[in-house]
Order: sequence, then structure tokens, then C-alpha cells
Amino acid sequence: MSAEVKLIPLQEAYDDLLTRSLSRVPCELGRLIYLASTREYNTGNYYHEGLASRFGPEAAQKALEVAHRQAFYKVSAFSLEELVQELERYLESTRENPQECLRAWQKLEPYRVAVPTDVNVTVARLFTSNLRLALAILRFRRQQNRLHP
Amino acid sequence: MIGMTGALLAAAALVLLLVAWARADKALRDLPSGSQEWLFNLEEDADTSACPPEFVSQIFSSDDQAYVLGLDSRELARQFRHERDGVALLWVQQTSAAVRRIMRRHVEASRRSQDIEIITEARILLQYAQLRAACALLFVGIGLAGAQDVRGMALYTSGLTQRIGQVLREFDAGLRVREMKSEIR
Repeated sequence: MSAEVKLIPLQEAYDDLLTRSLSRVPCELGRLIYLASTREYNTGNYYHEGLASRFGPEAAQKALEVAHRQAFYKVSAFSLEELVQELERYLESTRENPQECLRAWQKLEPYRVAVPTDVNVTVARLFTSNLRLALAILRFRRQQNRLHP
Repeated sequence: MIGMTGALLAAAALVLLLVAWARADKALRDLPSGSQEWLFNLEEDADTSACPPEFVSQIFSSDDQAYVLGLDSRELARQFRHERDGVALLWVQQTSAAVRRIMRRHVEASRRSQDIEIITEARILLQYAQLRAACALLFVGIGLAGAQDVRGMALYTSGLTQRIGQVLREFDAGLRVREMKSEIR
């Protein structure tokens, strides 16, 4: 009985998160970065004000955690070519200078904090490794475009 | 003459093995900061589940390699091989650690059991030895030829790991049921 009571708000919170917040983000990588940004660095807990006020902090936290893990596995399963396209789409959506963004991502590797806790270690390593490669490929292609427009 | 040729061949094989081992070891040492912690945690990690098969297939896939080679950049090709070999070696270590953990738990469970089937135990032991040998060969193979060239063996190892994990989980569950029944009696 208590499990049922707990599961329903979690499912509702999860559906709400998908339809309200995540559907507005234009790409999978963007959704992953967004979900990772709802996690507190100090505690590792997830927080989303709107979701918590509608479904309670516990259901909101769990829904964010599940959605984060799902988004992570989805992006990790991309082929390198798909990931490069995804990265391109993400850089376009940030409204920042793509060149600067690319350089900062290569230098600071901020995507490392997008890895959820308790995921398979090999998949986590594949994710960071593929992103490093995708960034190098994108930079190379942009350089080529500048040299041979 | 045959003795001399044999000795030379053995020496060449040994050198090749050492080179492969050194390359694999370097790839593992070159993991980015933070990855080393993952390696150390493999032994203590309570999660015995192996890497999902779809990701194993992706790690050893030749599609990504073809895509990178198509870009016609030596530097990118070198970086790709370095990165992918590092992930592949981490997978080999994770698989090896998972198999050891599963087997250790099985041995502990078997010690408590009173009705052990020798044939089943021998089969499990044989599969375990096969997996350990496959992991050692993969480690050397990745160092020598690269992750994409040992794809077939990696997929076979992944399948066997999933199977042995499943068999031992079922075996341990059956053991627990028998223990509970005997306690009730």
C-alpha cells in the first residue's frame, strides 16, 4: 500500500518533468546537462522548485534522479557521428560563441559533472571519452571549414 | 637448428607479449583524472552487474573507427585509438573483477550447501577459467591490435559473463530456498 502511494507521485512527477521542462530543451545532450544542473554539488541531491512544490521534494528528487540516469544512458549509447551532431545542436542552442564554448569544454571538461552517481564505470568512461573525441572532431571540422571554405 | 628456431620464436613471442602488456598498461595509466578511482573501486564495488551488452558492442564497434578514419586526420585517428583502447581495457578489468566477485560469492554459498553436484560445479569452474583466460587474452590483444580487432572475442566474453552471472544467481537462489525449507523442518 505504502509503495503504491509512493510510486504514483513519482510517476506523475516524472511525466510532468518530461512534458513541462525537458520537452523545451532541443537536444538530448542539452537535457542531460539540464538535469545534471539540478543536482547540488555538495550533497548530490536533486532539486527543482516547481516540481517539488507540485509533488513534494522526495518525489521530485527521485524523478530527477531517474530522468538524469536515463538521459545519461541515452547519450552514452550514441555513435560518435551522432554525438558530434548532438554537440553541434547543443552549441547552437546555448547562444554563446560556439568557438569559445568549444574551447572551454575542451579545457575544463565540464561534461564530467554530467555523469550521475551509481552508473556503470565503463559506460561513464565511454561517455567522457566519446565527448572528448566529439569535441576534437568538431574543432577539426571547423578548422577545415575555415581553411577550405 | 629446430631448437634455435624455437628459442627465437619463443623470444619473439615474449617480446610481443611484453610490448602488448606495456601498451595496455600505458593506456590504462593515461586514463583522465578521476578514472583511476573507478579502477580502484572495482574490487570493493558491491554491484556485480557487468557492463550492458549494447555498450560492449559499441566500445568494440568498427563504425566509429570508420567514421574517424573518414575524416582523414592522423591526429584524430591516433586519439580515437588511444581513447577507445582505454575504455576497452577498463571494460576488461571491470569484467574480470565482476567475474571474480560472482565466483567468490558462489564459493561462499557452496560451502554452506550440503548437496553439491560435482558436474555442475566442474562446469562452472571451467566457464570461470575460460573467462579469466579470455580477459587475459583481451588485455594483450587490445594492447597489440587495438579494441576493434578483438571485437568477436569481446562479444563472446560479454555473453559468457552474462550467462555465468545468470547461472550462479539461479543456483544461489535455489540454495537459499533449500536452506529455508530445511530451517522450517
